[in-house]
Amino acid sequence: MIDSLLFVALPYLAIFVGVFGSIYRMRTAPMTYSSLSSQFLESKGLMWGSLPWHIGITVILLAHVIAFLAPGFWQSLVSHQAVLQAVESIGLGLSILCLLGLIILGLRRLTSAKLQAVTSVMDLVVILLLLLQVGLGTAIAVHCKWGSAWCSGTTTPYLWSLVTFQPDVSHVSDLPLLVKAHIVGAWLFILVIPFSRLVHMFAVPVEYLFRPPQNVVWTNPRKFSADNQHFVREEARRHFMRAFAGIAFGGFLLSIGTFRNVFSFFFGPRLGREEETELMELRLSRLESTVGQRKLELERQASNYILVGKLAELSPANGKYFIDFKMQPAIAFKGKDELPLLISAKCTHLGCTVGNQVDQQGRILCPCHVSYFDIVSGEPNAEAPAKAPLPHLGWVIMDDGGKVLARRDAGGKTTGAVDPKLRETACVYISKDQEGKA
Amino acid sequence: MKVRAQIAMVLNLDKCIGCHTCSVTCKRVWTSRKGVEYAWFNNVETKPGTGFPRDWENQKRWKGGWVRDAKGNLTPAMGGKAKVLSRIFANPDMPEIDDYYEPFDYDYGKLQDSPERKAVPTARPHSAITGERMEKIEGGPNWEDDLGGEFAKRAEDANFQGIEKEIYSQFENTFMMHLPRLCEHCLNPTCVAVCPSGAIYKREEDGIVLIDQDKCRGWRMCVSGCPYKKIYYNWQTGKSEKCIMCYPRVEAGMPTLCAESCVGRIRYMGVMLYDADRIKEAAATEQEKDLYEAQLGIFLDPFDESVIEAARKEGIPESWLEAARNSPVYKMAVEWKIALPLHPEYRTLPMIWYIPPLSPIQAAWENGQIEDGDSIPDVRSLRIPIKYLANLFTSGSEEPVALALERMLAMRVYMRGLTVDKTTNTAVLAKVGLTEKLVKLMYRYLAIASYEDRFVIPASHREYANSMLASLEPGGGCPLSGGGCSLSGQKSGQQEPKLVQITFNGKKK
Repeated sequence: MIDSLLFVALPYLAIFVGVFGSIYRMRTAPMTYSSLSSQFLESKGLMWGSLPWHIGITVILLAHVIAFLAPGFWQSLVSHQAVLQAVESIGLGLSILCLLGLIILGLRRLTSAKLQAVTSVMDLVVILLLLLQVGLGTAIAVHCKWGSAWCSGTTTPYLWSLVTFQPDVSHVSDLPLLVKAHIVGAWLFILVIPFSRLVHMFAVPVEYLFRPPQNVVWTNPRKFSADNQHFVREEARRHFMRAFAGIAFGGFLLSIGTFRNVFSFFFGPRLGREEETELMELRLSRLESTVGQRKLELERQASNYILVGKLAELSPANGKYFIDFKMQPAIAFKGKDELPLLISAKCTHLGCTVGNQVDQQGRILCPCHVSYFDIVSGEPNAEAPAKAPLPHLGWVIMDDGGKVLARRDAGGKTTGAVDPKLRETACVYISKDQEGKA
Repeated sequence: MKVRAQIAMVLNLDKCIGCHTCSVTCKRVWTSRKGVEYAWFNNVETKPGTGFPRDWENQKRWKGGWVRDAKGNLTPAMGGKAKVLSRIFANPDMPEIDDYYEPFDYDYGKLQDSPERKAVPTARPHSAITGERMEKIEGGPNWEDDLGGEFAKRAEDANFQGIEKEIYSQFENTFMMHLPRLCEHCLNPTCVAVCPSGAIYKREEDGIVLIDQDKCRGWRMCVSGCPYKKIYYNWQTGKSEKCIMCYPRVEAGMPTLCAESCVGRIRYMGVMLYDADRIKEAAATEQEKDLYEAQLGIFLDPFDESVIEAARKEGIPESWLEAARNSPVYKMAVEWKIALPLHPEYRTLPMIWYIPPLSPIQAAWENGQIEDGDSIPDVRSLRIPIKYLANLFTSGSEEPVALALERMLAMRVYMRGLTVDKTTNTAVLAKVGLTEKLVKLMYRYLAIASYEDRFVIPASHREYANSMLASLEPGGGCPLSGGGCSLSGQKSGQQEPKLVQITFNGKKK
């Protein structure tokens, strides 16, 4: 529970707030979209703090991002013993550099009166959070060595499971507490970005490298109308690009699921020939049985009579199941008049098949919700959940030659009688014309 | 040829009395806010002195302006783009608050609220940043005012380069002058070139350099990039701010506040036309001493038909061309050559120019040369060493300074003859290359200095004004924080701009 809160709910919340909060702040308060520099009020401490901190954290963050984005490449890189050792020791060195820088930055804020005039609570929260986060990272580098190698089996798949919207906490749930805390710290860090000076990460002026040195802006009318056209076009293009990006992203998310199936279809694990044969056999036998069943049904529905059983075989206590023309179960008993007694086996409560054993009081039991039905009247007992009686079915008794000896219609009217001599050979049927009437 | 227009200014230092009225009016309107208490878009320095911020002219320390490499390419002295970017975490060339001064205020309330007691109540200073009491005030915007402080400190002035400065420590030989400074609104600004966010821009129609506060990310490269140290970091907002040349006033055809309020009437404002295609070439002139001439070379003659034609093609309105023909700046800088740029060796092509000050001529006075009347004294015997002025205005080249001073002296001698002795001394004029007509015009501009002659500022045309409002939208932006942008609310394109009536000395203009 706590795991899914910290490793599924928190990350999604943090990413949502981090991304949309930053965009919102950029659009509504562009003037605040930077880190309030305090170099003007205090320069020396800043240099000793800011430089090591920024150099260290830039390289370390970059390594984290590469390990996440290109796990294969990263894996192949750190699979060499020497490289792994180098990565680990450089990482440890840089994180200590970061820590020192942060401590200097923190002390500087706390000790200088001038700096306190420009220090907000959020600034201190950020410093504390970063101190905690980098401290945890350093502790991991010391206590849970070779993190750059084991991350590819734990945290990297965890992050990817988040990205693909199939969050899987099991990748990280067994990690040591240190690592777990480091992960939670990272999500908290992303969460506070839009509310703090950390937004300056997205204000890195890369475009400076590509712009001409001078920046002269014409606001003269003739030039301006031409320029304006340019802006209108730019705006339209931006709208189009935004819509396109939105649709593309939505499509991307949708297709991630599809991709998996398509991918596993083409590139997934293959069956061996034997396994394949087995599988085909299994499929074939299933198909055969289905075909047989279908044939039977068709046959049954095509014929006028369905055999219930020999008259002699019927018993008064132990009913014989059969299937009627509607493909519903029914039970045949021998009545007290030595003639068959056919009753539907479909419980009138919820349609379970009623049992075929008659108890002392001449009743059969539906095992689902304990309804007792009297086989003679068909009525359920008073406490039963079933309220309607089980209907009786009509029957026909024929001898070997197919001559009708006796019949009873669904209404219960019996005509004809069975010669005791023929009793051994006569068979009980249900007939279509009776069915139609009933 | 690509013609551009620029609002430029000339300050006649010969008449500056160092009263700081310009600084105070500017301060009241533009920088009386938290975060920029220490900032003076306009300040007046007493020279020799280290100035404000302290030692600003020492570019070895601050790395302001441009440097020319052996191939003739210009790069900011701070370094190329990669080097600038590598310093956004900590900029080693940036001045700190203490290089300006820690802003302070006095506990004036203590004077009013004090109960009756034996000792006189005092108003002690407290820091405007921390609010804490300050035991000792270590600096101020005009800390060396009127030669305040000891000579040893004052002598750190970078303009003493190449001068045996020790003799000026003696009272008999000491000299001083006032130097009001504001943003130079350069043609080749370094601040723009080093701004990583691209927030600083130069308006093409009037050349005013502004900082878009929404785009500024506070990387503070401009503070060190500007060799004049005229960009101020607002420690409260984390944005840089600078002199905006009172653009709301200039757009309405009014002079800047510092120029309007100048009691000595030393400031002149007018339009200059220049060739934008030759900026690079002029700024990359090989010898520093030639930079003054190179900048003069890219100014265009507003009477030249081909220039007028090219200007029209660039969309410069007729009123601006007319203003350029009447520009006092053009007369002083180009025609009379009495105005000189400030530190052209920074290669930014500054557009606030200065008429060098005359000073008492000790030796000449003793020899009776002044009484003589038919020739002018040697400007090299002026109290202010000419080398000092040359270091200030022409990168060490003494001839242009000498010519300017000689012309000023000749004007004095001629006009003195005309009004006191009733003689017309044309010989003295011929020596310095002036005519009677010219020198009378100079006299009118420099001595009478009427409002109309000093400020020839074309109002923004109707279509101009519209586009200026619109420019606040995509390309422009708000150059000032804290209510500097009320215009952006009313961007109806059809509105007639209101006529602004200017009254001066009770006279309607």
